Amino acid sequence: MSARTQVYGMIAEFESPGALLSAAEKMRDAGYTTFDCHSPFPIHGMDTAMGLKRSIVGYVAGICGLAGGSFGLALQWWTSVVDYPLVISGKPFFSYQAFVPVTFALTVLCAAIGVVIAMLVTNGLPRLFHGWFYSSRFTRFSNDGFFVSVEVGDKRYDPVKTKAFLESIGGTHVEVVQGE
Amino acid sequence: MKFDPATYKITDGGKFGRIMLVTGLIGLALAAVGFAVDREHFFFAYLTAFTFWVTIALGALFFVMLQHLTSSTWSVVIRRIVESLTAPLPWLFLLFIPLLFGLHQLYEWSHADVVAADAVLKAKSGFLNPTFFTIRAVVYFAVWCGLAHFLYHASVAQDSGHREEHRKRMRTLSAPGMIIFVITTTFAGWDWLMSLDPHWYSTIFGVYFFSGGLWAILATIVIVVALLQRRGVLTKEITVEHYHDLGKLLFGFTIFWTYIGFSQYFLQWYANIPEETKWYLNRWVGSWKAVSMVILWGHFVLPFGILIFRGVKRSPRLLMIMAVYCVVMHWVDHYWMAFPTLNKDGVHFSWIEIAATVGIGGIFVWAFWTKFISRAVIPVADPHLNESINFRNM
Amino acid sequence: MAAAEAKELQQLPLVLGDKKYDNVTRDIIAPVETFPKKLWWIAFSVALTVFGVHMTAIAVVVGTGLGLLGINNPVGWGTFIINFVFWIGIGHAGTLISAVLYVFRQQWRTAINRSAEAMTIFAVACAGIFPNIHVGRLWFIFWAMPYPNERGVLWPNFRSPLVWDVFAISTYLTISLVFWYAGLVPDFASIRDRIKESDAVQKIRKSVYSVLSLGWVGSTRAWAHYEAMAMILAGLSFPLVLSVHSIVSFDFATSVIPGWHTTIFPPYFVIGAIFSGFGMVLTLLIIMREVFHFQDYITIKHLENMAKVTMLTGSLVGLAYSTEFFMAWYSGSPFEGFAFINRMFGPYWWAYWIMVSCNVITPQLFWFKSIRTNPTLLWIISIFVNIGMWFERYVIVVTSLHRDYLPSSWDMYIMTNWDFAILIGSFGMFFTLFLLFVRVFPAIAIAEIKMVMKSPGAKGFGH
Repeated sequence: MSARTQVYGMIAEFESPGALLSAAEKMRDAGYTTFDCHSPFPIHGMDTAMGLKRSIVGYVAGICGLAGGSFGLALQWWTSVVDYPLVISGKPFFSYQAFVPVTFALTVLCAAIGVVIAMLVTNGLPRLFHGWFYSSRFTRFSNDGFFVSVEVGDKRYDPVKTKAFLESIGGTHVEVVQGE
Repeated sequence: MKFDPATYKITDGGKFGRIMLVTGLIGLALAAVGFAVDREHFFFAYLTAFTFWVTIALGALFFVMLQHLTSSTWSVVIRRIVESLTAPLPWLFLLFIPLLFGLHQLYEWSHADVVAADAVLKAKSGFLNPTFFTIRAVVYFAVWCGLAHFLYHASVAQDSGHREEHRKRMRTLSAPGMIIFVITTTFAGWDWLMSLDPHWYSTIFGVYFFSGGLWAILATIVIVVALLQRRGVLTKEITVEHYHDLGKLLFGFTIFWTYIGFSQYFLQWYANIPEETKWYLNRWVGSWKAVSMVILWGHFVLPFGILIFRGVKRSPRLLMIMAVYCVVMHWVDHYWMAFPTLNKDGVHFSWIEIAATVGIGGIFVWAFWTKFISRAVIPVADPHLNESINFRNM
Repeated sequence: MAAAEAKELQQLPLVLGDKKYDNVTRDIIAPVETFPKKLWWIAFSVALTVFGVHMTAIAVVVGTGLGLLGINNPVGWGTFIINFVFWIGIGHAGTLISAVLYVFRQQWRTAINRSAEAMTIFAVACAGIFPNIHVGRLWFIFWAMPYPNERGVLWPNFRSPLVWDVFAISTYLTISLVFWYAGLVPDFASIRDRIKESDAVQKIRKSVYSVLSLGWVGSTRAWAHYEAMAMILAGLSFPLVLSVHSIVSFDFATSVIPGWHTTIFPPYFVIGAIFSGFGMVLTLLIIMREVFHFQDYITIKHLENMAKVTMLTGSLVGLAYSTEFFMAWYSGSPFEGFAFINRMFGPYWWAYWIMVSCNVITPQLFWFKSIRTNPTLLWIISIFVNIGMWFERYVIVVTSLHRDYLPSSWDMYIMTNWDFAILIGSFGMFFTLFLLFVRVFPAIAIAEIKMVMKSPGAKGFGH
């Protein structure tokens, strides 16, 4: 290992989703803030166990949808009424009824793209590197492993005390993760 | 009224039922005065009130079958309420009979001389004639009352101890039940409302008729639940999560109703064939245009814009306000479907509409209530009851 | 009561066999990690050959002109439009399963949604080709998009249903792709984390799956945003899936052609699309579960549920047919009446009766539990559903057009070899893509399957 070794934090493994859930509650109560739980699938009740706020992605979807729909309607109005008015099958230039499908499609399209981008941004994805990848045991998170991780930046992080605490709440294979 | 949380039974609830029955009878008596004053107006008012209440009961029937077919667990706590909301169907059948005396006032096709002079009406006279109309109505009600009866009894049989066959029976009834329900409801919509304008036709009209009812029943469930909880019934069992889910469904079916309504309007507007567009043209003259706008903004835009918010769906108070509003809108929709045939120049609203709606409504609520308090208010022995009580939205 | 509840839950496991999470991961990833066997190669080469025929035929038809096809005056819409509607219809099951069943919390969807979504995307891709080549001048197809252009003040006609199609289908394809990919991210991470970088091939695989998984570490914070996103995408896809086939139906229903212009078309097309989509899902999944030994995940119960949906939608389609018939008579319009009598007893009577027997009568067999729980019979019936739904579009397109308002312009529509080549070829494209999919992507949503499993010793999680 080179001199530039960096410590990313600590991870501990738990046995089951239930154990992870109660561990998260204890971490929260102990005052850890930049800790996280890792599981192969979403576990219900985890967000309250960890004390997380509701995701904001819904609002992003709403705003993007409104913007997309307004743009769609404005585009159709401007092209059919202002820039290129043409009488088609005797219908008014501003045939709002006929503009519903495209307006709807653009609303949904923009809302969906907005919500996906919001999810990626809030989660810091995509990323090609993550400190936890230095732990070979951690790879089990995507199979059958349940982990709690504490980042080194947490104000309560302490190489000795945190390790002891993680073990006291049922964590096994507690490991300090470090790499180049 | 007393509620026993151990047995889930309401006792001493008869008074409310009697009040409703008396209210209903007074309403009907007033409507009868309306009959003496303005016969035509009375029958249109009565038809509006009748289809308004019938679609709510039909929505309840559909909702029950849908929950059985999809094996829904969240809805178990409210199932008995919805089942009891189908109880007014036999009474509505009784209340249908007065309409038979108003066929001449309501339906152009019931006049033999008009039909004889009109080639199109003559061609349809095999279908649109008073005898067949009556037979069909009897068939619809026989089917609906039968389905409601068997589903209700299969459900209460479960109360004395769940056996797998109970659930099986409810489900096997629901599958073919759903299909005959769709057929009968579609035809009922055509018979009672579409044939008011016998030249006009729309294949989707039956679906429109049904989608409004489904929307209204969701609102009705919210109202019933909220009122029951105010009197201390099922306060622990029905949680904010159930309100949230009902709110989501109400929101979803706002969109569904709009989708169906828009499809009908849009295709007829776009193709612009005279015999089709005239139905909408009739609703575009004078003050009817305002009612049409109320339907668009009030039946779709407003509930959509409000129910989209999570906070509204999770607030029993706000959701109840919205539910009352939705039921009113459902009435306006039926008014808008029926009355332009009579008042071609514009809206002539009168007290007869209110009297008829309250009259049938009183009987409706009375029939619901007496059925509802006769048994435990939730399916006590359903194996999914606990799951339903502890249900949580994502 | 608790005992009854426990008994019932045992009756309905969504994953059979006493599986642990690790078994699930292994079982589902197995096809991705092993080298394909002979059977796959045979299937793939057949599919690829047919796909080649498809592309060649398209190249010849585009290069030569649409005169090679059976279309004429008055039947100006032929196999291209039929195939387009057919494939778009098939492309509805995936989104229906992943969005609509998600919104209604039908947990059995977790085993089938991944492959159904893949199928959706491939079917929409197959469908997307047809309008492009149908216009004849493929190289001008971008004119359908609204953009400031060098041709003077020219914009697409937003009052035309064909322009709505462009928007609806591209939106649908985009959102289906995004939804599918978002669902795949955690599963790509599962593949990534199992790769041992033992040789160059594995190193390449590792980097590919690392990029595809976007650096996913399954954190609860990420899952929270992710699930909120999935719920919203499902909520958006629900009306979208209804709108897409409705807008396709507008292509027909906004006209004044008897048999096309009827207000029930939008919901009727949507129901038909669900029906045909589930038919194709059954066709594919019954084979897939046998070949990849997914019987414990895609159980008989899953198949039975799909059979029930097929039966219900088939019956509703039948009701829509009858509604149209009844209204054609009720309308009192002689043109409407003729169009429908002509469908039944006219020169294309055989197409009509194939449609009715495959779509309405065959699914009624699913009333029998013994039939809907028998994979072989299910598979055979699903083929009938696919055939029937192709013929439904054939009946709609051809029978309404071949008898014009003016008897002098009546004509027949006869498909040429080019029509057949492109029709059959599109199946080659579809199966080529699907065969690649099952070898590269996890064909069952691993994370979602784990959510609905009842794990021993775990309390207070899952549903």
